[in-house]
Amino acid sequence: MIAPHRLSVKFFFSDFSVDVESFIPVFHRWIREDVVPNELLLDVADYKHIGDGPAILLVGHEADYIIDLTDGKPGLLYVRKRDAGSDLSDALGRTLFQALNGAKLTENDVELKGKLKLRTDGATIVLLDRLNYPNGANGDGADSPASDAQAQLSDNLAAIFGEDATVTRVANDAREPLTFELQAPSAPDVDTLLNQLGRGD
Amino acid sequence: MSNIGWKDVLADEMSDDLAHEIDIFEGQMELMGQGKLDEKVFAETRLRRGVYGQRYDNGQRHDGFESRELAFEEMERIKGPDTLWHAPGMQRIKVPGGGLTPNQLDVLAQVADEYSDGILHITTRQDIQLHFVHIEDTPDMMRRLASVGITTREACGNSVRNVTCCHLAGVCRTEVFDATPYSEAFAEFLLGHDDVQDFGRKFKPAFSGCEAEACGLVMMHDIGYLAQIQEVDGKPKRGFKVYVGGGLGTVPHQAKVLSEFTPEEEILPLVQAVSRVFARLGEKRNRNRARIKFLVAKLGIEEFRRLVEEERKTLPHDDRWTAYMDTLPEYEEKPYRPPTFLNGQVNSSEFNQWYETNVYSQRQEGYSVVTVNLPLGDLTSKQTWELADIARKYVGENVRSTVEQNIVLRWVSDSDLPNLYEELKAIGLGDPGAGTIVDITACPGTDTCKLGIASSRGLAGELRTRLTAKSASLPEAIKDLKIKISGCFNSCGQHHVSDIGFFGNSRRSGNFKMPHFQVILGGKWHDNAGSYGLAVGAVPSKTVPEVVDTITSRYVEERSKGETFQEWIGRIGKKEARGIIQPFMQLPAFEQEPEYFSDWGDPRVFSLGDIGIGECAGEVVSLFSMEISPAESEAFEAQIALDENDPARADALAYSSMLKAARALVRTQFLDVGDSPDRIVQEFKSRFFDTELFFDQYAKGKFGQYLLDRHSSPNASPDNDSAHRLIEEALLFIEATHACESRVGGNVLVEI
Repeated sequence: MIAPHRLSVKFFFSDFSVDVESFIPVFHRWIREDVVPNELLLDVADYKHIGDGPAILLVGHEADYIIDLTDGKPGLLYVRKRDAGSDLSDALGRTLFQALNGAKLTENDVELKGKLKLRTDGATIVLLDRLNYPNGANGDGADSPASDAQAQLSDNLAAIFGEDATVTRVANDAREPLTFELQAPSAPDVDTLLNQLGRGD
Repeated sequence: MSNIGWKDVLADEMSDDLAHEIDIFEGQMELMGQGKLDEKVFAETRLRRGVYGQRYDNGQRHDGFESRELAFEEMERIKGPDTLWHAPGMQRIKVPGGGLTPNQLDVLAQVADEYSDGILHITTRQDIQLHFVHIEDTPDMMRRLASVGITTREACGNSVRNVTCCHLAGVCRTEVFDATPYSEAFAEFLLGHDDVQDFGRKFKPAFSGCEAEACGLVMMHDIGYLAQIQEVDGKPKRGFKVYVGGGLGTVPHQAKVLSEFTPEEEILPLVQAVSRVFARLGEKRNRNRARIKFLVAKLGIEEFRRLVEEERKTLPHDDRWTAYMDTLPEYEEKPYRPPTFLNGQVNSSEFNQWYETNVYSQRQEGYSVVTVNLPLGDLTSKQTWELADIARKYVGENVRSTVEQNIVLRWVSDSDLPNLYEELKAIGLGDPGAGTIVDITACPGTDTCKLGIASSRGLAGELRTRLTAKSASLPEAIKDLKIKISGCFNSCGQHHVSDIGFFGNSRRSGNFKMPHFQVILGGKWHDNAGSYGLAVGAVPSKTVPEVVDTITSRYVEERSKGETFQEWIGRIGKKEARGIIQPFMQLPAFEQEPEYFSDWGDPRVFSLGDIGIGECAGEVVSLFSMEISPAESEAFEAQIALDENDPARADALAYSSMLKAARALVRTQFLDVGDSPDRIVQEFKSRFFDTELFFDQYAKGKFGQYLLDRHSSPNASPDNDSAHRLIEEALLFIEATHACESRVGGNVLVEI
């Protein structure tokens, strides 16, 4: 299946006892120290005034890392904007790897350590591509790009997150992008997932 | 892989004009990628599509310690002088009069999350801006916007910018009449008009219905129309008092009265005449003197008026001047729900607080305008389509953006207000305080602007947080003061017309630079931006919250009964006002106060190293260069059509490209040639072919003959061979046009 124009994954924080403003100096340091492999980091955008939505963005050329507070569920949202991969499967692998790498960097950052913890037993995956992956049938499964994508995601994610992992299509508004929820009760920790995903790049 | 694109999917939903313009722009992008377009020409081309540069797009960023290269791919590829192709940019989207529909909001939200960072930003001229956009996404973004009737054309560059109009027009209690349909006709008439393509700088129009309110802010615009009714032959006659030559910028100018009363049928020819005078006599090379305000100041308003009146007499008649007037009697917004009343029902204190500041009772009984107070002018994609649904439920299509970076819902039936408030609050858009001291206006500043010196948004966010926290205890006298902040002296935050204004600058302390804000006091928002404030001194950015507290406290203590902030500042004078901020003007050493050396929301040690060259202006290219570019793009499209085995389309595009090239050449001598192919060819023939000016030393008139032949003998059924031949001829003709212009071309210049 075609790689979507953009693909995002959000992992949620289980503990989050940190002021979102703390991420601003952290992200600036990440840019300065070039901590993310294979990605060009550009700038930090401060949207904390919005409240329910993206709060602090680490803007990159290929991807953005976002401390996201949408619906009161804080998490690390990784949005792959360019060069995701040759197809959906490849794009998913790269996006997950980089998102989990971002999670690890966040958890282990010298200024954030002990103040937050990301869960791996669930995530939200969004295909930001209304041309190739329209969200037209309101989650009833009748539209084939969506159901094909769901099947693809299910296969790929079960292999990584455990056989009991399930991928459910979110019955959201048709104007919103095609969105899936991953539930993975047996998911291993971030390091194990990264090892499983281990990409040559 | 799917070959279907938005161009195919939306083919039937875009107007032919918009679709074709976007195709041309995409073709120009392709040519730029092939190195076949001049970088300055392409820069102006994309600016006129609203595709703007953004901070760090020269590939350099200061990280607080040193300036470092941002290693984009294809570093050699550019989209303008010192502007890397792959660096993200800003897309400005025009919203004439701020008018938006729920369907448009839906699409804006979708393009924001697919191509931008999911944030829509309302500007101080009712536009919408998206940031961190890759140029290669812009054609599809434009197509999706075009499918709901939105264009980005002439949103930037030296063109007629968004035509603003008071967000209360039509429902206002004090207006003379509704200026909305006039502003719409004005915007439509000037969009892409030949007479507005050769300005030395941008041109900002505004429409207003009330003289005493802030309304359309006509006094600070290049041209402003203020609604008036005069008695003519014993009957009331609609028209406008017309102002010209206002503007903010580094040195603000108050507009001058061009005409005390211009009847409605004359407003479009008048601006056409003004445009011609501006294009002909306005400065082209020195961007700092190129706005129309400098021309008006240089000539004097009497001479400027005389020139405009003379120009008006020479204008060839245009039916469009008055065509829109036929629709005026039917023009009216339709309320979505019947009028109702609150009838004194008891509501929550939260609602009452919101009602006090965010609700305006319309002159139509039973209806109100609700202001959705957007922090720093921002809302998310999700909030945008949720707001679209709220609009659908309560007001239908009656939505507008405002110059104070908010959105209003008009024609809210009054008994719906409590429910509407709850629904806005549920999506995070129920903040009270619209139009008050907490509702601070700020331009993008150093967040994204290449010209930004200090963090206007960072400061605005900090002030908003602090003032909101104590809003309940703020003295009544200061609750409605306006605070407006610009990141530099260019005044995009409109600091000159606020009670308390700031613009970013810097000062040196030891070996370090410190972000500062110049303090401007006593500007007037009312009376259509009736007067500008006094600059009283610069203070470190980190002291500004305390400066605001000190100034407002002094005003509360010292004001006499009923004395406005402007009156108080006028009474105490500049020297005394400076004395108030004097204690904050001391510069600590880095070792004493290191936090003073970084800006709000940005921990990097402050630097001016990231400032680039603004794209509002800066490059001078000829009008010919600008107009030949679409011809080259069409010739390129013709080749694609031939590759797709569509010889008829290839033939038509090749011919059209020749016409465009000929027109560009003719307009170096004769601006009014118009669009008629017969006229273009006739003028080309008499001015360049018959005179042999077009002739090549060796080929003589051969290339010119290609156009004359195709025009006089079109091929009724072109095949691949004939189309291929015509494309070759078109390419040669365009090259010959370039050569001719180089030899004998005119001197019409355009600055970008």
